[in-house]
Amino acid sequence: MIATPSSRAHFQENIARTVLFAASVLVVAAMAVIVIYLASEGLRLFLVDHISPLTFLGSPTFDPESRAPGALVFIVGTLSVTLFAIAVGGPFGVAVGIFLSQLAPKRLAALMKPSIEILVGIPSVVYGWLGLTLLAPFTRQHFGSQTGFGLLTAGIVLSIMILPTVISLSEDALHSVHVSLKEGSMALGATRWQTIFHVLLPAARSGLLVAIILGIARAIGEALAVQMVIGNSAVLPKGLLSPTSTLTTEIVTDMGSAQAGSVMQHSLFSMAFLLLLIAMLLIVAVRAALRRAA
Amino acid sequence: MISTTTNAAEPRLSSKMRVEDLDVYYGDFQAIKSASIEIPENCVTALIGPSGCGKSTFIRALNRMHDLSPNVRVEGTVSLDGEDIYARDVDPVSIRHRIGMVFQRANPFPKSIYENVVYGPKIHGLGKRAQLNEVCERSLRRAALWDEVKDRLHRSALDLSGGQQQRLCIARVLAVEPEVILMDEPASALDPIATSKIEDLISELKDEFTVVIVTHSMQQAARISEFTAFFLMGDLIEVGKTSDVFTKPKDTRTEDYITGRYG
Amino acid sequence: MTTIAQAEPLLARRRVASRRRFADLAATGVLWMAACSIVLLLVFFIAYLFYLGAGVVSWHFLTAPPSEITAGGGIGPQIFNSFYILFLTMLFTVPIAMGSGIYLQEYARPGVFTTAVQFCAESLATIPSIVMGLFGLIVFVTLLHWHFTALGGALTLTLLNLPALMRVTQEGLSSVPLIMREGSMALGATKWQTIRRVVLPSAIAPLTTGIVLVAGRIFGETAALIYTAGVSVSAGRSAYDWSPFHTAETLSVHLWYTHSEGLVPDAARIGNGSALVLLVMVLIFNILARVLGRLLSRRLTGK
Repeated sequence: MIATPSSRAHFQENIARTVLFAASVLVVAAMAVIVIYLASEGLRLFLVDHISPLTFLGSPTFDPESRAPGALVFIVGTLSVTLFAIAVGGPFGVAVGIFLSQLAPKRLAALMKPSIEILVGIPSVVYGWLGLTLLAPFTRQHFGSQTGFGLLTAGIVLSIMILPTVISLSEDALHSVHVSLKEGSMALGATRWQTIFHVLLPAARSGLLVAIILGIARAIGEALAVQMVIGNSAVLPKGLLSPTSTLTTEIVTDMGSAQAGSVMQHSLFSMAFLLLLIAMLLIVAVRAALRRAA
Repeated sequence: MISTTTNAAEPRLSSKMRVEDLDVYYGDFQAIKSASIEIPENCVTALIGPSGCGKSTFIRALNRMHDLSPNVRVEGTVSLDGEDIYARDVDPVSIRHRIGMVFQRANPFPKSIYENVVYGPKIHGLGKRAQLNEVCERSLRRAALWDEVKDRLHRSALDLSGGQQQRLCIARVLAVEPEVILMDEPASALDPIATSKIEDLISELKDEFTVVIVTHSMQQAARISEFTAFFLMGDLIEVGKTSDVFTKPKDTRTEDYITGRYG
Repeated sequence: MTTIAQAEPLLARRRVASRRRFADLAATGVLWMAACSIVLLLVFFIAYLFYLGAGVVSWHFLTAPPSEITAGGGIGPQIFNSFYILFLTMLFTVPIAMGSGIYLQEYARPGVFTTAVQFCAESLATIPSIVMGLFGLIVFVTLLHWHFTALGGALTLTLLNLPALMRVTQEGLSSVPLIMREGSMALGATKWQTIRRVVLPSAIAPLTTGIVLVAGRIFGETAALIYTAGVSVSAGRSAYDWSPFHTAETLSVHLWYTHSEGLVPDAARIGNGSALVLLVMVLIFNILARVLGRLLSRRLTGK
């Protein structure tokens, strides 16, 4: 043999490769276990209590005691509050993302990036607390809401919470557009805004779509901040000011008092399983959006 | 195709490395087509040709650097002292111990000068402080860098000038005590003064090592090499003694390149 | 010299140009306002939280145990639990996340397994924290009969934060240029030697910044802990329990719990103080992350 490998280095190489591979296997295993356990508990409502999925998904009456656990209220609540959040926070976030990647002078960008990082870091309870002490009284006074709790307050809090996600992903999407496109447009005499609107935004389309999808995911998944300001009443929302509940807030509110083995507990697990499926679906959507880009 | 001229009266040079029918593919694109060449021991062999002709691809096949790229395929034989380095039971990591490489842009690690030089010996198992110090001094002297850095061995290597960093990279390779040193345009990013220092260094190194150097400068090839190989679009057109290739090239394409008709 | 004939079309063009320029200015103005409002929003939040809580935070508040029914409780044990669970979580998360991050970035080849790992990491990142908390409830609290424990909370948080730390690892590794890896391998180093001795040390600054930022987020995590680590602390001295099997209400959970149950008359006051302490901790983590990052990168390229 013309070269004898240093046996110790090779031994270490093989060990390292095995350990690192094992860590990756753990990630897959963790996900598998999560899906399995949430599914097994989440399906109890249908398999053990014999509630039909249609009732669960379609009935507006949530009364587990009487075996009528309709989760429609919460589904509508989740959808409404998410829609509000992305309608407000989406354009706002993309605008700031455009600003950061195209317009911001270096010093301002250096000030804004840490600010956004801090906004991400603020715990959701603190956002909920701010909503409680700041926004709810404001809504009570100026919008005529009785308690100040409801869709509007929750929607505003959620819009602010998804901003950092949308901002940083939009900024990344715009940054990854090759500079030659921008230069080509400017060289033809386009103004900066024309370049952004007609060249850069279309080119960054899939990245911006990912930003929106992940903003939606963040909104759907948020539990505590929303729970503190949405009013937590299991009725379909009649308007922006009505108190209501979402899938996540319902779980937070009633999980503590749910008796083991009860229909209530099972319906809460089914809601959790539903949220899990939605999360995985959103990831598939993100991957599809990215694949269209490539 | 090989066209080598040997004068019967000159001493016979032994062949340190031999390349036979080397093909290199990037996906479907064939970057090197059936190249065969002998690399004589203790000589400097220069690889010249216009940009894109494949000389960097060729030299990287000589120490199995293409193993690091997933979509590159290498076929053919590359032998070191008669044994094929691409054989199934050969460990590429150990090959690079015997065949070292200096890159176009100096790439010192973000560590001290000392740590850069002793990196190679350390990963090959050398541990004793005294031995490492000795290797460090010896390698830096051989790379003509010792006097300039001996008082700041533990300062960051990134503080050095471009030419010094490149000589540091050469010292780093020397510390591993290879038999062959491959150089991929080592001076192309340096100013003329730094370049001439590197060239002087290469002329000294050939006493102990076999050197293969890729260069885009024909003048550099003429200055420092004994043998020259001319590449064009993946084909090895002509190989021979440098003086012959530059004064009496056998192929018209070689002549066109030398006289500046393209490239 | 331009004649009138040549000047005419120039003037017309200038009129159109001013319309375009107006649109450009208007859009620029809108974007600037959006950006400034973000900064103003943050400043306002910070100022308001300080206004609410500054009067509440005192040494007594920070160290005393909470009271069940009377006013005047503190958050001492909760702060302890927050740090304790943070430490425990990092203990599990860092090795697994860095291990799989290094594998994905340096070793993995495109294929079914690699796609599976990436998909699982992305999915883990999207799972709502309350859902993860329920998983923790199923497995750690009920199935394993641990009931509410710090360990159960930490393991749940590990699952939640694996993706974030994996991303930090991968981005840190990719910040090291290829040529540095090639230089090491050309000297006869194995892949692992290259990673351990060249790539990881070179990436220490972005890695540290990222890890500290993730730690800050773990500190504030609530939803996943309510049903895994619990909403109470043991009374008396055992509140500062070092066993990972004790019920461990963290500060953030405490904030939510005092609001939602509100048995004590000064719940609002405790909430204000807790919110401020949480905010200050987030600020400290963020500042620490940046300072450490800058210090380390300077040491790497300067000394």
